[in-house]
Amino acid sequence: MPRTLIDALLAAVLTAVLLIPIFGLRIQVDGVNVALDRTPTPVVIAVVAVFLLRLFKRPLQRLWASWKVPGSWRANSATAALRQTAQHPRARQALWLLLLAVAVIWPFTVSRGAVDVMTLALIYVMLGLGLNIVVGFAGLLVLGYAAFYAVGAYAYAYLAQQFGLSFWLCLPIAGGLAALTGFLLGLPVLRLRGDYLAIVTLGFGEITRLLLNNLNFLTGGPDGIGGIPRPSLFGLEFGRRAKDGGATFHEFFGLDYSGDHAVIFMYLLGLALVLATLFVIDRLLRMPLGRAWEALREDEIACRSLGLNPTVIKLSALTLSAAFAGFAGAFFAARQGHINPESFTFIESAMVLAIVVLGGMGSQLGVVLAAIAITVLPELAREFNEYRMLAFGLVMVLMMMWRPQGLIPASRPPLTLPERAEAAR
Amino acid sequence: MSGFSFLEFVQQIINGLTLGSIYALIAIGYTMVYGIIGMINFAHGEIYMIGAYVGLMAITGLSLFGVDSIAAILLVTLAISILVTGSYGWTVERLAYRPLRNSPRLVPLISAIGVSIFLQNYVQIGQGARDVSMQPVLTGGWRFGPADGFQVYLSYMQVLIAVVTVAFMAGLTLFISRSRLGRACRACSQDRTMANLLGIDTDRVIALTFVLGAALAAVAGVLVGMYYGLVNPFIGFIAGLKAFTAAVLGGIGSIPGAMLGGVVLGLAESFASAYLQTEYKDVVAFALLILVLLMRPTGLLGRPDVEKV
Amino acid sequence: MNRFNRHALTIAAGVAMLGLSGLARAETIKIALAGPTTGPVAQYGDMQMMGAKMAVEQINAKGGVGGKTLEAVVIDDACEPKQAVAVANQIVNQKIKFVIGHLCSGSTQPASKIYEDEGILMITPAATNPAITQQGYKMVFRTIGTDDQQGPTAGRYIAAKIKPKKLAIIHDKQQYGEGIAKEVDKTVKAAGLKPVLFEGISKGQTDFSALITKMKKDGVDFVYYGGYHPELGLLLRQSREQGFDAGYMGPEGVGNKDISAIAGPASEGLLVTLPADFSSDPANADLVKAFKAKNEDPTGPFVMPAYAGVQIIADAIKGAKTEDAVKVADHIRKNSFQTPIGKVAFKDNGDLKEFEFVVFTWHADATKTPAK
Repeated sequence: MPRTLIDALLAAVLTAVLLIPIFGLRIQVDGVNVALDRTPTPVVIAVVAVFLLRLFKRPLQRLWASWKVPGSWRANSATAALRQTAQHPRARQALWLLLLAVAVIWPFTVSRGAVDVMTLALIYVMLGLGLNIVVGFAGLLVLGYAAFYAVGAYAYAYLAQQFGLSFWLCLPIAGGLAALTGFLLGLPVLRLRGDYLAIVTLGFGEITRLLLNNLNFLTGGPDGIGGIPRPSLFGLEFGRRAKDGGATFHEFFGLDYSGDHAVIFMYLLGLALVLATLFVIDRLLRMPLGRAWEALREDEIACRSLGLNPTVIKLSALTLSAAFAGFAGAFFAARQGHINPESFTFIESAMVLAIVVLGGMGSQLGVVLAAIAITVLPELAREFNEYRMLAFGLVMVLMMMWRPQGLIPASRPPLTLPERAEAAR
Repeated sequence: MSGFSFLEFVQQIINGLTLGSIYALIAIGYTMVYGIIGMINFAHGEIYMIGAYVGLMAITGLSLFGVDSIAAILLVTLAISILVTGSYGWTVERLAYRPLRNSPRLVPLISAIGVSIFLQNYVQIGQGARDVSMQPVLTGGWRFGPADGFQVYLSYMQVLIAVVTVAFMAGLTLFISRSRLGRACRACSQDRTMANLLGIDTDRVIALTFVLGAALAAVAGVLVGMYYGLVNPFIGFIAGLKAFTAAVLGGIGSIPGAMLGGVVLGLAESFASAYLQTEYKDVVAFALLILVLLMRPTGLLGRPDVEKV
Repeated sequence: MNRFNRHALTIAAGVAMLGLSGLARAETIKIALAGPTTGPVAQYGDMQMMGAKMAVEQINAKGGVGGKTLEAVVIDDACEPKQAVAVANQIVNQKIKFVIGHLCSGSTQPASKIYEDEGILMITPAATNPAITQQGYKMVFRTIGTDDQQGPTAGRYIAAKIKPKKLAIIHDKQQYGEGIAKEVDKTVKAAGLKPVLFEGISKGQTDFSALITKMKKDGVDFVYYGGYHPELGLLLRQSREQGFDAGYMGPEGVGNKDISAIAGPASEGLLVTLPADFSSDPANADLVKAFKAKNEDPTGPFVMPAYAGVQIIADAIKGAKTEDAVKVADHIRKNSFQTPIGKVAFKDNGDLKEFEFVVFTWHADATKTPAK
């Protein structure tokens, strides 16, 4: 008993030390006068609560255990079942189809704001899938992914504004430019190992953002680039009135003008891009290149001794990954209509990385779900304002404890031996 | 620009060293944690921010009690701030990192980003998003140079920052190299499993590392509070990013490296600001980092990476 | 019996309340207040919300608009362009037709496009970037002056009154700060004064010693700073500390009590261009009292413009006798309104016809007096 008491007292003291400066005292600045306000109540409540919890930890645990057993058993078996179904290739396919069906029908049934948030989520899905190539498959930690995203966005914005090029023409250019950036960055830095590579890419990301902010003649500096046109559907525009004599979507189909058309169109476009991304990456993974990425992640030295050239493999992963960020960037610029360097900060890179890790590194389905969760959850909680980000941080930590391997851990696309091998036996 | 002036150059070195000392103090926390568990502790900048808040509160509180001796203010403030941030360092490690000790490398990193977001908003809820400021406690300094021309100015505060930094660094170096616990720290950073087998309580050593790193961040926070006098919940992020850069520049995992990295980074920023455009100082800082890593892939004083098969 | 009565009463009261709340819902006009309530600029967002909420309260106290009451819906965009678009779509969703906001130019711009497309009336009390009203939009108004009004005011004052030998222009590399610094640069150059230095610092920077040393060596005797108060406060403080005693001037983003809290005695003599101080206008005495009664500070630069924004919407709905936002916008464009920021009328692009910036001298005790 005394031991529990000491333990509880220590925990209570620790809580007090932690909480007093943040919640118990508040610095009040009024003009030139600085004062300290005292608000002891929350601290006292927290300290007492911690003390009691620690003191009665054992009985509470016992109580919790006896009360929890049936519930937890059910929950565990449910998650286990879910996990097993998720592992099963057929089930996975079914899950994919279900997701797709929901994704296509969804925009016509819900409100505009919801569709728009999902469009944003699709951008993150694309980013997550792209980063997943380099982090999840090739095992290279990249902390400056927002740089490639920015290159894509600015490429479209600049070309559209300066030369009036259309979205459809700019999309490949944006992807290509981002890929080129990835390639040029990769050439010198990919020989760095592990975390040093991460830091160099972080530095590169920051430099890119700073240059976007400083090179006013090219990027518009902090003003960014505005008036970016929305993509058109085979030449049909989505504005209220068509620019320079083109036709608008609602006139062509004889519909009443509604801003929702453009929003839904953007969503569907994003969905198409995501599907294309998914398809390409899925194919790549079945190719020798994709296998080489994963082999490299597992053991670089073994790879080298098998005659694989690690530099080429890493470079291919980074280049491709950057290209997808470029596509996502161009699409983001189109959705936003106005871009500035604020959208490409380090936090952006960190969020995409969080998506990849939360989803389960190397798992496509997991990344998709995590991207949706990370964009949609804070939106749902917008009313809670400052508590929203607090909870977000907390959820990130808890998720890492609960499922360090991610929502849906990766599984390799299965390769079965051809029938003949069986017959020969 | 009106040519090169030697006195301006001296002044820029003073500016750079002051800034570098602060970076170095924060950088140590990154480097120690990395050296032992190979994890980038993204929440360290936030610990520094909390240290700065506590420092400001302590100074304000002391002035309300009418304490006006600089030495007393400094000592008491440092003690309080170190106590609080040390507790934060310990708690964060205990709650958010220890359960993840044996997970894949990226898992604690994401957890750290989560902690960083959490702490930033947590302080914002408690203290508000507004800047909190304070008038300088220690003013004045020495001036050198011609009375009618450019005078080099060395403030008492800058000297204090240098002295405190050097004192804490020396103390830390002694602790790591001489004390029993310090030896345990080094053993853990060499090979954690082996250290564990030899009877070192590695969990305790790791917790100690976090507390020590947090304590130095608190020192930096208090000094920054006294020197600049401005604190808000967002200062941790920028300072953390810079300090982290400094740690890597010097060779992450190496304590003298963190000091060197901090000073080099501080000087680089000062000179970029002085002889180029101020808006390019951060570009120079990060470009320097990339260049150094390309030349010396493990930083200025880093151990060469051994490939283990 | 007694007990039964009490029950009946409670139930009756409950029903009445439900009925009332149902009625109330049908009879409100929603106004979205979009701006940052979190993040580094939340304190400016607070000014906007404070002013707008006060207007909503007072208008409702006087019987609302055409029998309906106004309802303020606060939505946080954290001053992030990405979130601003989401917020704008949310407003479309909730079928809100009137918006006071956004605060930052960077988030106002992408959001304004959506409001224009959807026929939602937007009045920003704080976004000062000229580009916002240069997009040819019909639904976008602002109740504050623009950077290209404020910059020249400052520039002319520097050229005519200060006549510095060596002028430096510093800005924070943000849309607002750099925009205004460029306007000042343009104006002083037109007046034949060439700045020796035009440089950007970064947001959140705390150490300016290198820049100060450089200015000191170059013999700069006057500095214009485009940006917000935290950076300028530190710049002032460190300048005085290093013995660099040039004069400083800044835009309304620095005209905040906090500058004196940060810079202390170093803020004495700082020049600031501000909208005329509406809170010292005798016509607003009652309003100022109302703010003070709620322990709120009415002197912030965006408080009164936000109040005015709500009031203009309310008056225009009454005047146009419709809640159709497009017609209300027309009405606003064609009429003038009596508000705490004076009698206002709008240009075709949605900017105020007249908005005056005045140069103030700031004092160390966080007060200000009109500069000579």
